[in-house]
Amino acid sequence: MAFSKLYDSAAAAVADIPNGATVLLGGVSGANAPTALVSALADRNVRDLTCVCDSTYYGAEALHRLVAAGCVSRIISPAPFGSGKDDMVHELWRSGDLTVEVVPWGTLAERMRSAGAGIGGVFLPVGIGTRFAEGKEIRVVNGVECMFEPPLRGDFALIRAARADGVGNLVYVGAQRGWNSAVVSAARVAVAEVDQVVEPGSIDPELVITPGIFVNRIVRANSAPIG
Amino acid sequence: MTLARLDAQSVARRASAEVAPGSVVAVSGDWSTAVADLVPAEKGVWFLRAGGTLSDLPISAADAGAVLRGGNVDLSILQAAQVDSNGSFAGYHAADYPGPQGHAGLIDLAGARRVVTVLPHTDADGSPNIVNSLTLPPDGVRCVDTIITDVAVFRVADTGLILTELAPGWSAEDVRTITGAAVTSAPTLREMDFALPPGNPTSKIYADGPSAIADLPDGATVFIDGFGGPGGMAHYLLISLRDRGSRNLTIVSNTAGIARVVSFGTPPGHTAIDHSVLVENGQVAKAIASFPVSPSVSRPSEFELAYRRGEVDLELVPQGTLAERLRAGGAGIEAFYTPTGAGTLIAEGKESRVIDGREYILEHGLRADFALIRAHRADTRGNLVYRGTSRNFNAVMAPGARVTVVEVDEIVQPGELDPEAVVTPGIFVQRIVRRPDGFTGYE
Repeated sequence: MAFSKLYDSAAAAVADIPNGATVLLGGVSGANAPTALVSALADRNVRDLTCVCDSTYYGAEALHRLVAAGCVSRIISPAPFGSGKDDMVHELWRSGDLTVEVVPWGTLAERMRSAGAGIGGVFLPVGIGTRFAEGKEIRVVNGVECMFEPPLRGDFALIRAARADGVGNLVYVGAQRGWNSAVVSAARVAVAEVDQVVEPGSIDPELVITPGIFVNRIVRANSAPIG
Repeated sequence: MTLARLDAQSVARRASAEVAPGSVVAVSGDWSTAVADLVPAEKGVWFLRAGGTLSDLPISAADAGAVLRGGNVDLSILQAAQVDSNGSFAGYHAADYPGPQGHAGLIDLAGARRVVTVLPHTDADGSPNIVNSLTLPPDGVRCVDTIITDVAVFRVADTGLILTELAPGWSAEDVRTITGAAVTSAPTLREMDFALPPGNPTSKIYADGPSAIADLPDGATVFIDGFGGPGGMAHYLLISLRDRGSRNLTIVSNTAGIARVVSFGTPPGHTAIDHSVLVENGQVAKAIASFPVSPSVSRPSEFELAYRRGEVDLELVPQGTLAERLRAGGAGIEAFYTPTGAGTLIAEGKESRVIDGREYILEHGLRADFALIRAHRADTRGNLVYRGTSRNFNAVMAPGARVTVVEVDEIVQPGELDPEAVVTPGIFVQRIVRRPDGFTGYE
C-alpha cells in the first residue's frame, strides 16, 4: 500500500497522458531532466501537447525527441528557441507547426507556484516597459507599476529527483531542485523519475523538499543521466 | 595598427571590480558567469544563477525569481547584445532569435537594485553595440548603471554616457570612433582598474540581543514569529525589545501573544514569554494577526485586554493569507488574489474578482522594518536551519524585512551546514544572536 505510487516503468507512468495535454517539464538538461519519462512520452506518439519548460537547449535531448516526433504543438518557456537559424524549434515555428509563448523565467515559475498554491494570479513588476507587458492588465500597486500574471496549471508534471520514499516525499541534488521543485505542485498528476526509492521514514523530514502530497507517481530512473 | 581588445576573461575581471564584499549578485551570460570564479570566498559574495543556485545553495526557480523581485539582489551583471545612452538594454540579437519575442532570459535580472552590462564594444561586423537608442527590443528599460566593454567603461548618467575608464593603449578618441552614442569623458578618466573592492564583509554576529536591536525605532513594523505555544519564538529578542522600549510598534504575527494564556508546557510558577511582554509594556500600537485573542474567555490575553481598552488596533488576517502576504512581501509580489475569506467579513473593503468561476479577493504583500525570528542553527553567513515545527512562520518572515535578526541555539562555521538542508539562505539574515545558555522562554 505504501508503495502504491511506484510504477514499473516510465512507459506505464505516462500511458494516460492524452493528446492536447499541458505537460510541465522539470529541468530539461542532463542530470536534471526526467529523461526516461519524456522519452517514453515521445514513444507514445501523442499529439498536440503544450510543453512548459525552462529552455530547449543545453542537452535537452529527450525534449528534442519529443518535438521531433511531432508530439508538441506549443511551447511555453523563457527560452523556447535555440540560438541560430537551424534550430529545430525555429524551423517548426517558421513552418507554422509550433506556437511559442515566451515568459520571463521568474514569472513562469511564479505562475506555476500560484497554480499549486491556489492563488488566482499575481501582480508583478517584471518586464514593465518591454514586449512582455503588451496586452497585459497593467496596474499601479503600492506605487509600483505591475502586470497581472495568471496561474499556469498543468495536466501532468514530469520531473526528476534524487530520491523518493514510497509516499512520494522527494529530495533533490544540487541544481536539480531548480525547475523540478518549481513545477511539481502545479499539475493535476505529477510523475517523478528518481534514482532511488527508499522506505517511508528513511528520509530526514527536515530534508524533504517536495512533500509527497504533490507527487502521484514514482518511477526509477533506469538510464544513466545524459551529460 | 589595430588596438588590442580585452579578452572575455579580462572583461569579467573588470566586472568583478564592481562586486562589493558580502553583496548578492545575479549573473547570466558567459562573460558574466565567469565573474563568480574571480571573487574569492572570503569576500562573502552570493552569486545567483537563474537555473536555481545561490552560490553553493540549491534553490527552486520560484525562489530565485522571488529573490530578484524582492529587492534582495544588489547587482545584476548581465551580458547584453546592445545598450543605449538611457541605460536600456537588449539581451539578444533578433537575427539569432527570430521568434516573435526572442527569449526572456534576462528580464528578471533587470529588476536588481543595480544593473551592470558586459558586452563586446562592437559586433562582428564592426557595428557599435552602444547606441543612442536601442534598435533591438528592450529587455530592461532605463536600468543599466555601468557598461563594461572590451575597450572601455561607461557610467550611465541623466545627461548621457560618461566614459570613465579605458583599456590599456586606448584613447578616448579611439573609443568614441567605435561608439554609436554621444559620450562625455569623465574628468577622472583613467586606465581600467581590475582590482576587487577592498575589505571583507562585516560580521553578522552580534554580542547580545540588545545590541542586535539597538536601532529598532519607535513606529517600526516588526515581524515576530510564534504560534500558540512556546515553539519557534524569539523569546530572547522579545525580552531585548521590551527592555529597549521602542514604542508605537506594529507587530505582524500569527498570534498577538497567546502562549502565556495557553501555557503549553509552561513549568509551574512560570509565565511563558510571548508578545504580551510588549503589549503590557505599552509598546504595541497595532497587531496584524490571525489568532489575536485567547481561546479561553476566562483568561484573556494582554492584547485582548488592551484592545478592549481601546489602546491597540487590530487587522485580522486568515492564517494562510497572512503567510502568503508575508511571502509576497519578501518575493516582490505587490498583490495577489486568494479565494480565502471571499464572501466573509474578511472581504469587506477589498476588491473581489471571479476567476474561472470562483470568487477571489485581492490581498497585498507585507513588509517590515525588522523581523525577529528564531532558528536552531546559523552559520556565520546567516544560513539557517530550523527544528521541527519551529520552522512555522520564521522561514516565511525572513525575506520580507529590511533587517532580519535571528536568535539561534548555535552558530557554526560556513560549510558546516549541509547546503541541501539550509531552509533560509543567509542573504535574508542581517544579524545573528545566540540565545544565552540557560535562557528558557519562561519568566
